[in-house]
Amino acid sequence: MEAASFAAGRVRRASALAWVRGLLSSYGLYVALLALPLVYGINDLQHAHNLTRLGQNLVNGLSNGAIWALVALGYTLVYGIIELINFAHGDVFMIGSFASFAFWTTLGLTVATSVLGLVGGLLVTLVVSMIACGALNVMIERVAYRPLRNAPKLAPLITAVGFSFILQNVGELWLGPAQHNVSDLIHAQQKVFSISGVVVNRSDLLALAVTAPLVILLTTFIARSRLGKAMRATAQDPEAARLMGINVDTTISAAFALGGMMAGAGGLIYALYQTNIWFFQGFRAGLFAFTAAVMGGIGNLRGAVAGGLIIGCVQQISDNRFGSQWTEAIVFGYLILVMVFKPQGLFGEQTREAG
Amino acid sequence: MSVSPATPAPPATAPAPDDGGLLRAIAVTKAFGGLVAVEDVSFQIPARSIVSIIGPNGAGKTTFFNMLTGLYAPTAGRIAFDGRDITGRRPDRITALGIARTFQNIRLFASMSALENVQVGQHARMKAGLFGSILRPPWVRREERETRDKAREMLDYVGLDSSVHEQLAVNLSYGDQRRVEIARALASDPKLLLLDEPTAGMNPNESARLTAFMRQLRDERDVTILLIEHDMKVVMDVSERVTVLDHGTKIAEGEPATVRNDPRVVEAYLGKRESESADETGETTAEGG
Amino acid sequence: MDLSMLGALTRPLREIVANKWFNRIAVPVVIGFAIVFPLFFVGASPFINNTVQALVYVVMALGLNVVVGFAGLLDLGYVAFYAMGSYAIGWFGSEFLYPVNHQKGVHFLVSRLPGSLPGVHINFFIVIVIAAALAAAAGAVIGLPTLRLRGDYIAIVTLAFGEIIGNIAANGDQLHFGQYTLTAGRQGITPVDVPNLPGVGDFSPLNNRPWYYVALALVLIVLFCNVRLRDSRLGRAWIALREDEVAAASMGVPIVRTKLLAYATGAAFGGMAGVLLSSYTNTVNADSFNFSFSIFVLAMVILGGLGSIWGVVLGALALSYFNTYGIPDVLGPFLKNFGLDVTQLGFGIFGFVLVLMMVLRPQGLLPERRRKLEMTQGIGADESLVEVNA
Repeated sequence: MEAASFAAGRVRRASALAWVRGLLSSYGLYVALLALPLVYGINDLQHAHNLTRLGQNLVNGLSNGAIWALVALGYTLVYGIIELINFAHGDVFMIGSFASFAFWTTLGLTVATSVLGLVGGLLVTLVVSMIACGALNVMIERVAYRPLRNAPKLAPLITAVGFSFILQNVGELWLGPAQHNVSDLIHAQQKVFSISGVVVNRSDLLALAVTAPLVILLTTFIARSRLGKAMRATAQDPEAARLMGINVDTTISAAFALGGMMAGAGGLIYALYQTNIWFFQGFRAGLFAFTAAVMGGIGNLRGAVAGGLIIGCVQQISDNRFGSQWTEAIVFGYLILVMVFKPQGLFGEQTREAG
Repeated sequence: MSVSPATPAPPATAPAPDDGGLLRAIAVTKAFGGLVAVEDVSFQIPARSIVSIIGPNGAGKTTFFNMLTGLYAPTAGRIAFDGRDITGRRPDRITALGIARTFQNIRLFASMSALENVQVGQHARMKAGLFGSILRPPWVRREERETRDKAREMLDYVGLDSSVHEQLAVNLSYGDQRRVEIARALASDPKLLLLDEPTAGMNPNESARLTAFMRQLRDERDVTILLIEHDMKVVMDVSERVTVLDHGTKIAEGEPATVRNDPRVVEAYLGKRESESADETGETTAEGG
Repeated sequence: MDLSMLGALTRPLREIVANKWFNRIAVPVVIGFAIVFPLFFVGASPFINNTVQALVYVVMALGLNVVVGFAGLLDLGYVAFYAMGSYAIGWFGSEFLYPVNHQKGVHFLVSRLPGSLPGVHINFFIVIVIAAALAAAAGAVIGLPTLRLRGDYIAIVTLAFGEIIGNIAANGDQLHFGQYTLTAGRQGITPVDVPNLPGVGDFSPLNNRPWYYVALALVLIVLFCNVRLRDSRLGRAWIALREDEVAAASMGVPIVRTKLLAYATGAAFGGMAGVLLSSYTNTVNADSFNFSFSIFVLAMVILGGLGSIWGVVLGALALSYFNTYGIPDVLGPFLKNFGLDVTQLGFGIFGFVLVLMMVLRPQGLLPERRRKLEMTQGIGADESLVEVNA
């Protein structure tokens, strides 16, 4: 007994480095994430004697993050089931924006359309965009991933990158290489109300109003429905799921369909929110959303939503304080931090390896 | 009696190289999260002996191997090899010090030839680095030639004739793959060879030949052998000492004949029904002896 | 496109490459041809111009091949090393650092013209060595965080690093260090010093021949390194790691060191190519350090065959010429029939090539024996590491 405790002591001392590493991997990411609001909160208090600016950053961040959350859900669904980074997912989101814009133009929605017409038209647009992106995502799976299901992981990742390029090119042919301004149907920047100086705009409410019900529907669907249960079973052990009579191909297609639908919804919100779309928006969105998915613990739906909101806030703080040209570098910096120190995410991972 | 349930841990002094133990594990524990795979196991192997670890599935045998070879760092406890503390050292360092292993489910480099596999086994004994490999000065050429010759010699030694040397590992028969794996392990000039279920999937004839080969190895090359084995006939036949693990703890240790009759061992293997099955095991081992 | 047709087309080529006489006869013949053929073109020939670029891509593809092909580490941020090389010549071979030494400049082994200009001017060939060292260091730093990650996470982390470096390059004019800034931002650095090598003629935009010979020499050096590394202790260790990390570590292969050597070696070649490309195009252009560049080089490696040295050379030449001739001259008229403008289709076509290659012929045009097994039979598919204590 004595020997045992003595030995344990020796091990502990010998691995001081591992201890530091453990500490970093346990708390490093939290510290890095909390640093931004803390530093700027203190900064605001010192200079403006209130937290209005930080509050505004966070409100914008949360609404912006709602879009990343929708896209992140697609990553996490697909990775949770087949452990594939669907690199083309960001571009499916971009196609969602483009399709939404094209459809509402066809419907004849303009800034002058009545409120009722606008709400109805946009709801139809939402459904159309979701179906289009869901179908597109399923098609990509059939063409680019399914034939490679037994190949090394490298192969589908490369076809995913290939498809990402193809979709970007489609977008470029569709609306040209420049950023494209779309009509500001909902008057996105119009103030709805404010709380002690922190303004909440229509765009913020829109993001919340679309995202929240969708996320609730999706999580309920996964938790309750037959297909949802099949998805969870396949995620845990595809071989066992197959033996239990679950059609794995259908289940995987369903994951892609659901992920694509969320991206389609995200695409519509993005177009209305930013009033500015372009063929390259999906690259950045995809990587931001992927960061969110990993941060939330890949395979974990609620985690992906939380991750999306966090990334949105990081992005807003960075846009507002460092300048938007640095935002990519900063978010990607967080991506690396997450990958290195907490690849299982903040809230735990739900993939085969972990479970 | 040499059989004693989990002998108390030896005094906690630095393991001396001269006490006859080539390898000593002192109160080694490995926990994965809340699951304790190996608990407080102390163990030693005298030089030039052949020792077996047995135990039912999930007893922690392979985990124990993985700690000895550095794939896992023990949660607690120490491991000393050849007079050096190797607790938590990197696997490649441990291989360089003289421990080599094979795997339960053969892990050859499938797309490499048998010869190249054995050459990789010599990695720790070679010196060529980045610039040496590119510029290939005379000493590197010599080193390459020597490793190739030695790889051929090793393959011959395990009984693979030159017709299979250039074949890709993936194309070899199961038995030949096992041999290549042993040759690859031997190529690093180990003092201690760990064999993880070396006779799995072999017929009695092949097992017997492998048993003879282990003795030959020990006698000709001074290699100490530690094996995990399920085939009781092999265990009883070849081992000088047997250690029994169950649920991560050591439940018995000693000479094969004594361990075989230890009631705790019988219970661990057979659960509550002891009578008939126990006799069967006894018979098999008796034949082997 | 038919899979077997593609295979049949390249079979004779594959047999030649596999033949042991290939190295003894074909290689000297090809090299001899490569040395002689520019003499049949005028110095300003656009074909030689495109060939110089193709050769630079060969160097980059061979470098990436060490990382992805040999060691199996999917690097999607290879552009970072092109950027390092570009800034090496930007910093040490242009007027960018003009305040240095009271605007009189620092000069080291350079010819008269740059020798009279402000800024740091170091001999082109020394800058190549500096770039190799800088890029290798960057490669190791980028590699460090990926060591414990699964394969696809490695891809994303390297991609993120590549983007960060591109982002810093494009906005580096806002990062001040005393009188200096880190980069010139999107404005770019131009002009850039050219090599000075007596005997091969003037390095000017009007005479591509000397550039060609420098590029060819670089290709030969990198090719030599690739061949030597493949058949060495290190090369075997890379393949072993790629196939089975646990077994490799248990056989005495140090994981960290071996992986970092792969990153650093591949990066060094990328850095060297970056110096040459920037000097040749006479500019360090921050906007060219983007993700599609990494994918362009990766597509070359994949088209040729991961890990296959001659395949990668072929893939790089093929895609590079495809880019300069095939797309505008062949695909252009064809696609015009469908009302498509080929100049807007560049990266879509590469995406299509990637998908097509992976689905139809994942082993590439001239597959390496092992990789063919891995890509077609799923051997060595990534198994997650238990807990290697490295």
